[in-house]
Amino acid sequence: MIDKKIELKPGIKLNLIKTDIFKTNLISIIITTPLKKKNVTKNALIPFLLKRGSKNFPTNEDISKRLEELYGTSLNCGIDKVGDNQIIKFVAESIDNNYTLNGEDIIKDVLDLLIDVTFNPYMENGKFKESALETEKEHLRTLIDSKINNKDFYAYNKCLENMFEFNGYGLYRYGYIEDLEKITIEDISEYYFELIKTSKIDIYVSGNFENNHIEEILMKNEVLKKLEPRDPEYNVAVPSTENVKKVENPKEIQERMDINQGKLVIGYNVFDNQPNSRNIGIVFNSIFGDGASSMLFQNVREKSGLAYTVRSGFIKPKNVIIVNSGIEIENYEKALEIIKEQLENIKKGKFSDKDIENAKTYIISGIKNIESEQDTEVVFYMGQELSGNYFSVQDYIKNINSVKKEEIVEFAKSLQINTIYFLTGLENN
Amino acid sequence: MNKDLGINALDTLTNLGVDANAYTTNTYTTYLYQATDNFYEALDEFMDYVQNPYYTEENINKERGIIEQEISMYDDDPGQALYMNLLRLLYHNNPINIDIAGTKESISKIDEKVLYQIYNNFYVPENMVIVACGDFEPQELLENIKKRITLNPSNNKITRVYDEEPDTIVDKKALRTMEVSIPIFMIGYKDKIPTGNMVKKYLALDILGEIIMGKSSKLFKRLYDEKLITTSLSFDYEYARTFSHFIIQGASEEPDKVIEEIKNEIEFFKARGISDEDFERTKKKLYGEYVKDFNDPDIIASGVLADYFNDINTFSFFEEFDCIRKEDVMAVLKEVFDENKKAVSIVKGNDIEEE
Repeated sequence: MIDKKIELKPGIKLNLIKTDIFKTNLISIIITTPLKKKNVTKNALIPFLLKRGSKNFPTNEDISKRLEELYGTSLNCGIDKVGDNQIIKFVAESIDNNYTLNGEDIIKDVLDLLIDVTFNPYMENGKFKESALETEKEHLRTLIDSKINNKDFYAYNKCLENMFEFNGYGLYRYGYIEDLEKITIEDISEYYFELIKTSKIDIYVSGNFENNHIEEILMKNEVLKKLEPRDPEYNVAVPSTENVKKVENPKEIQERMDINQGKLVIGYNVFDNQPNSRNIGIVFNSIFGDGASSMLFQNVREKSGLAYTVRSGFIKPKNVIIVNSGIEIENYEKALEIIKEQLENIKKGKFSDKDIENAKTYIISGIKNIESEQDTEVVFYMGQELSGNYFSVQDYIKNINSVKKEEIVEFAKSLQINTIYFLTGLENN
Repeated sequence: MNKDLGINALDTLTNLGVDANAYTTNTYTTYLYQATDNFYEALDEFMDYVQNPYYTEENINKERGIIEQEISMYDDDPGQALYMNLLRLLYHNNPINIDIAGTKESISKIDEKVLYQIYNNFYVPENMVIVACGDFEPQELLENIKKRITLNPSNNKITRVYDEEPDTIVDKKALRTMEVSIPIFMIGYKDKIPTGNMVKKYLALDILGEIIMGKSSKLFKRLYDEKLITTSLSFDYEYARTFSHFIIQGASEEPDKVIEEIKNEIEFFKARGISDEDFERTKKKLYGEYVKDFNDPDIIASGVLADYFNDINTFSFFEEFDCIRKEDVMAVLKEVFDENKKAVSIVKGNDIEEE
């Protein structure tokens, strides 16, 4: 639970999550910026450059050694999408002061280090180092290329890209090779200053500490003092059906690769406007394809043995349901038909009150787990921060419990296939 | 499958809001569940289905279809191919060189008779261990588990018979082409059948791995600056009663060059030794990471379980941590990293010509 929320400066918020069930402290600095094709690759490149060195720890090696001294504190940078926003996340996980060998106050050192890395990079003449840019471009290029190594993930992304026509949420979070090649040292340095000057910044600290202690460390931090107040631009991540066009004929896309197992991904638009739609969607999705008792799992995998994996996911801020499965290539038509049939059954109300009860129990057990993982809890509250819709874990459970059968049927009826993507084997196989 | 009701145990557990799963490693099979509510209700079902198998031609056929798909999935996984090729280079006869899921051919021969035979041999109380981690009264839980044990002790003693495994490796190198964006490689050093203080040995190898090729190492910096690698090298010491090996894994456009650099670096440390500063800093890092592992009940339970099968007390790490010395680490370095027992597995993209 968020114990205290403080606006450090306009546009920069601090959230303190006090909990004593962990042996660690988790600190996240999250920078939010609207997803745009022209910036997506630059945003992905920034964390790589920042990890190359800060003013106080000028090289990669210095940062790594410092992290090791701080009892193997981990420092991870992540790029994510929430609705039409790209978020750049810097996360440090360190052991709690109580577990240090000599009672050191490492949370201060960790906060200072993380802030130094994020907002105080090593630069020469106001620019990142040319050699660092060169290496990190290569690094990001490898990461973008590595999409194809995980075929499930690759197919899932291909479906999203086509569904959103390479805009907003359809953009690949790590960007594109053609844009990467064009980035110069001037571009990226200027872009970085603009990013930290104008973007929404949220800091989360989760662990066992005194609120005053953390506030004091942050108030005294020289690097934070220099950040200017801002009125940040970002997209409020609330589902909307307004700007979504109904697709008359679903896009059907096939791609060939040297593989044994085909990957079928179906993207549905949701056109539901019921008041509790978010929670209805979560229950619908659970009955439809999330988990071992779902209709997709039971019918595509258990009854017909067509797939090893089959599941559906509900991308709430975008009002989209995605079904993905790994199937025998020749079973394409059959699998597609059985998947469609499951949705038809829900539309016709062919599911029991017991199915709804089971789905709710499963969802609620997940909700109860939110507070038992530090990172999960931060992601939960950051989602609320971006949607402007704040609710407690208890309210969340109440809203899930209130979902009724007819609401689920109504929700299901609003689904429309937008894109069917199939990753299949080579022709001569 | 539950014998009495004929409904799937997994469904029953899921419906209780419980996350249930099962997995098989090279040496044991684990059934597990995680619950926020309904813990004892789930324990009923959990212990019931593990102790009451129900195999029919029909349910085996259905399951076979699913496992065939699982095998296909792994066949397309470059990491899996890389790992299996390495094990086949290191081991002549040890069954660790066989895919855990089997092959489409090998699973085609499985019937009820085989399954019941395996079940009756191995699913006996003497060969089972239960690990629980959570916020409950240990004594109460213990009573509850005892109450639910219905299997009878077996009269047959399990004897595991393995073909003898020579000390030597099978071959030095394996190369395969698959759909990958960048070549991936794995280096393996075959080690002796485990004896003695394995916790100490594991800790020594962890320290060595960090110092030689970890993120703050000279080697990592050099390879990274020369763009020979873009992500860090990972390493692990894997062992069970009948095998042990140290594995290094990475990705590079020029794997042979990186493999050579790693070899040179290991030789450098063998000759020059490790510094006190590196040794102390690395120990601190590993201590912190070990503490972090105790955040998650799932990791704690699976860790204690794996340690049990290796005859290890999970908490002995802290004792070893306090007394390990630099000399111990150097001795392990000279013992394990033997060029004659090293093999290399590489997976490259389809468009790359073989040299």
